Amino acid sequence: MTDARHHRQRILAEVGEAGQRRLEHASVAIVGVGGLGSPVALYLAAAGVGHLGLVDDQRVELSNLNRQILFEECDVGRPKVEAAAGRLRLLDPALRLDEREENVRASNVAGLLAEYDLVVDGTDAFETKFLLNDAAVLLHKPLVHGAVLQWGGQVTTVLPGGPCLRCLFKEPPEPDEAPTCEEAGIMGAATGVVGSVQAEEALKVLLNVGTPLSGRIFQHDGLGGEARVTTFPRDPNCPVCSPRARITDLSRYDEQVSPRGHVLV
Amino acid sequence: MPAPSFTAEQRQRYARHLTLAEMGPVGQQRLMQSRVLIVGVGALGSPVALYLAAAGVGTIGLVDHDQVRLSNLQRQVVHSVDGLEQAKVEVAARTVRSLNPDVMVQTIEATVDERNAMAILGRYDVIVDGTDSFRARYLLSDAAYLLKKPLVHGSIFRIEGQVTVFQPGRGCYRCLYPEPPPAGAIGESEQVGVLAALPGIIGTIQAAETIKLITRVGDGLVNRVLLHDAMAMTFQEVRYQRNRACPLCGDRPSIRSLVDYGAFTGAEAVR
Repeated sequence: MTDARHHRQRILAEVGEAGQRRLEHASVAIVGVGGLGSPVALYLAAAGVGHLGLVDDQRVELSNLNRQILFEECDVGRPKVEAAAGRLRLLDPALRLDEREENVRASNVAGLLAEYDLVVDGTDAFETKFLLNDAAVLLHKPLVHGAVLQWGGQVTTVLPGGPCLRCLFKEPPEPDEAPTCEEAGIMGAATGVVGSVQAEEALKVLLNVGTPLSGRIFQHDGLGGEARVTTFPRDPNCPVCSPRARITDLSRYDEQVSPRGHVLV
Repeated sequence: MPAPSFTAEQRQRYARHLTLAEMGPVGQQRLMQSRVLIVGVGALGSPVALYLAAAGVGTIGLVDHDQVRLSNLQRQVVHSVDGLEQAKVEVAARTVRSLNPDVMVQTIEATVDERNAMAILGRYDVIVDGTDSFRARYLLSDAAYLLKKPLVHGSIFRIEGQVTVFQPGRGCYRCLYPEPPPAGAIGESEQVGVLAALPGIIGTIQAAETIKLITRVGDGLVNRVLLHDAMAMTFQEVRYQRNRACPLCGDRPSIRSLVDYGAFTGAEAVR
């Protein structure tokens, strides 16, 4: 059955029979099942990633539907993870899906991510993005970071031993420096571009093919119709991934990092 | 134009667009009054249909002659197992209506060809190319130009994809590719592999370009092709101009109506 379903991927030299089996046995945690999580979940499910963990504590709202294409109008009010799982099963009933209706925090992040091979960041708060980065570095898990605002966004992939988000942006921005999506608005398809790039990155890392965005960042300016990839080096003083790390222990995260994601120690 | 008015439900549904400076209520109203035709409801047409419906495009036309197959579900995310062996346009229409019942969906279960193209394309403001054959790409480009309608072109091949916008008078598919590749040189069939997420990237960029055309904001990918390589994860922009010798949109055009695209591209009748 899987044979016909994934035929077009198995005949791709970069995937092949072995690659398709690898995807079937792979597991991915999608943290945040919203604008980014929608295309990520759809494309990873379609590609044949056998086991997906959906992590989100929110319910579907009507204002989500200008971009969150996993949901339908009749899902409004339902937990996102439940509605998402229902839709993904319609795409492939054989998928193993974990519905984790939880908000990711320092105290539960290690447990939530433990059983997955790779983490995709589909969250929308800076402090959570930095928490996922720090957790991925400390747990040695690959992380595909994505963020979106207004007409564009960015993606970078944090691989164990490679540069991380804090090498590039040491701290999350101050609240007055970065408006929220609610204030600034968001063009729906921009989340689709960024989320699809995240899905493509996740597949490459799982398949161990191509060149992932490790030490590189994809930046998309939808309004200008521009997409570029630039490189960035590892920060020898990075607070989490360098030998001089000050963020060292998720169980002491609250002592080492402020609630807004800034390094304390 | 009178100030746009929205229902309470629309104000919630489109809240993130209404606060977006370049879009706002005027842009949202333009979307709601627009008519977009998506030709090909497969790998590219899936994200295009989903994101245009989510954005609130008033009328979406879906054209495809094919039925949903199991092997489509590896990348065609608008479809699902309960639509297997049914017409792609009908299955996609159901998904789109469930996402946004405000959207008027028109389904056309047919192959767009030289006989019906002008009539079908003529009813829409913007045409999106989600097809997978050279025959269809030249046909859509010629028809859109002759009808003076913008065409949002996208195509994928294995691990690569490209997007550009053809604005009538500013270059067409023939300016970019004057001649089709030799028949059979580039596979168009089930024998060519494709990575699941690649059409998502190309299709969502097509959706974004369509939304920019309708709302008249930003810099469209006109006279520019955006090329993407999934494995290298690179994006490259290549500029092109209208070819003054183009037989379609050049200074002395020889093509004034649709031609025989099967003969031109060496393709058999479309699969």
